[in-house]
Amino acid sequence: MSQPLLVKSKLICVALNDAAQLKQLDATFNEKPYGKPPTEPVLYYKPRNTWAADGATVEWAVDFDGNSVDSMVVGASLGVVIGKEACRVSEDEALDAVAGYTIVGDYSLPEQTYFRPDIKGKCLDGSAPVGPVVAEVATPNAVEVIISVNGAEQSRFSYANLERSVETLISKLSYIMTLQPGEVIAVGFAGERTPVAPGDKVELSIDGIGTLTSTLGAKG
Amino acid sequence: MKHARILLGGQELEISVDEQGNVTDGAGQDLSIDLNSDAITWLPPVKEPGTIFALGINYADHATELAFEPPKEPLIFIKHANCLTGHKQVSYRPDNIDYQHYECELVAVIGKSGKNIKAEDALDYVAGYTVCNDFAIRDYLENYYRPNLRVKSRDSLLPMGPWLVDTADIADANALRLTTHVNGKMTQEGTTKDMIFNVPFVIEYLSKVMTLNPGDMICTGTPHGIVDCQPGDVIVCEIEDVCALETRMVSEQEYYGDKY
Repeated sequence: MSQPLLVKSKLICVALNDAAQLKQLDATFNEKPYGKPPTEPVLYYKPRNTWAADGATVEWAVDFDGNSVDSMVVGASLGVVIGKEACRVSEDEALDAVAGYTIVGDYSLPEQTYFRPDIKGKCLDGSAPVGPVVAEVATPNAVEVIISVNGAEQSRFSYANLERSVETLISKLSYIMTLQPGEVIAVGFAGERTPVAPGDKVELSIDGIGTLTSTLGAKG
Repeated sequence: MKHARILLGGQELEISVDEQGNVTDGAGQDLSIDLNSDAITWLPPVKEPGTIFALGINYADHATELAFEPPKEPLIFIKHANCLTGHKQVSYRPDNIDYQHYECELVAVIGKSGKNIKAEDALDYVAGYTVCNDFAIRDYLENYYRPNLRVKSRDSLLPMGPWLVDTADIADANALRLTTHVNGKMTQEGTTKDMIFNVPFVIEYLSKVMTLNPGDMICTGTPHGIVDCQPGDVIVCEIEDVCALETRMVSEQEYYGDKY
């Protein structure tokens, strides 16, 4: 709790931006309730109660009956930190609005459906660590995002596989809402989320930015 | 007591209005102003907006109107302060769309932090009530995290106010007449009695998942009677004993000006 929070005003996450995952889910997305694959970025918020700093503990979630849940998962993304107001910017201008890059963790219940906003799964207190620093990244569309659990690598996602680039997402978002300094966009998670267990030490790493470390709490 | 935020003569003021209609500033000084004066610019009533929770399909008749089964648990989506604007301000209609409608809604504003709040204690956590117009653009709906951000997170499309009424001043938030008028003609009439999930239920539900904090808001959904709105339309969303919120629609070009 000693470290200040890095995010200001909002943390926007982009789901389904792993091209391989989209391809894999194509048949599902052509059925009910989806009807057709998404035509625009699929977005969700991690609200302010979820924000946490590097080194924090992520509470193990309880269900509506007060019992500890069976499974939780983590996703990791490059976090684009907005440095100046961006309203209706083109893809060419998009990176001018960026102050730097960080790492965003999204701890949640397993993603079972994308049909409705996932308040129960995604809005858990302290479930969105952001950090450890804001750094410059020369080629944001070419990073690798690595998830290690208790020292063993579990996931490695290359941004060569992004469905939409950082520039495209900033531009599209800036036509929905005016982006403000301090806001963070988590631009892409590996389609397959990584399971975690109570007590796990989880490290999310991007070369050039560093490692964002969290520890999972015990079952209540 | 009612509480509002206004700009007057270039100054931001927090004002209170008592039952006799006396207006005072934050220091308790009498302000001799007419609340209908054009000199007032109304700001959104919550000074430090937090997470805005909005309910979808939370009136049985509206669910029927949209051809949905009434939900078994609340459909809740999240919005942020970029959507907010005040009373007598403008909201925009994007170019090249067919259907944008208002949604007149009762809003509960959270006044203190809490987690695992019981429904019977929930109103202790509510600072007051206001009215919002949670506009939607049906053309942009997609079946991914529906209603998606492209529909529900746009600048200016959540007018709110003009003021917050103390929780204690509303005896029963689920017995209030709700109307919307477009250009003076009534287009929506309902009552908060028909809400499926009321404020205490939603507070208990949300606070099982997360901590609620002061400045968070719960927009409780709208009943039957939505119609398309065009630039130039003046929309008034009103809830009995709470307030009447007026919004003028403008085009995307007029709203964004130089940035269009």
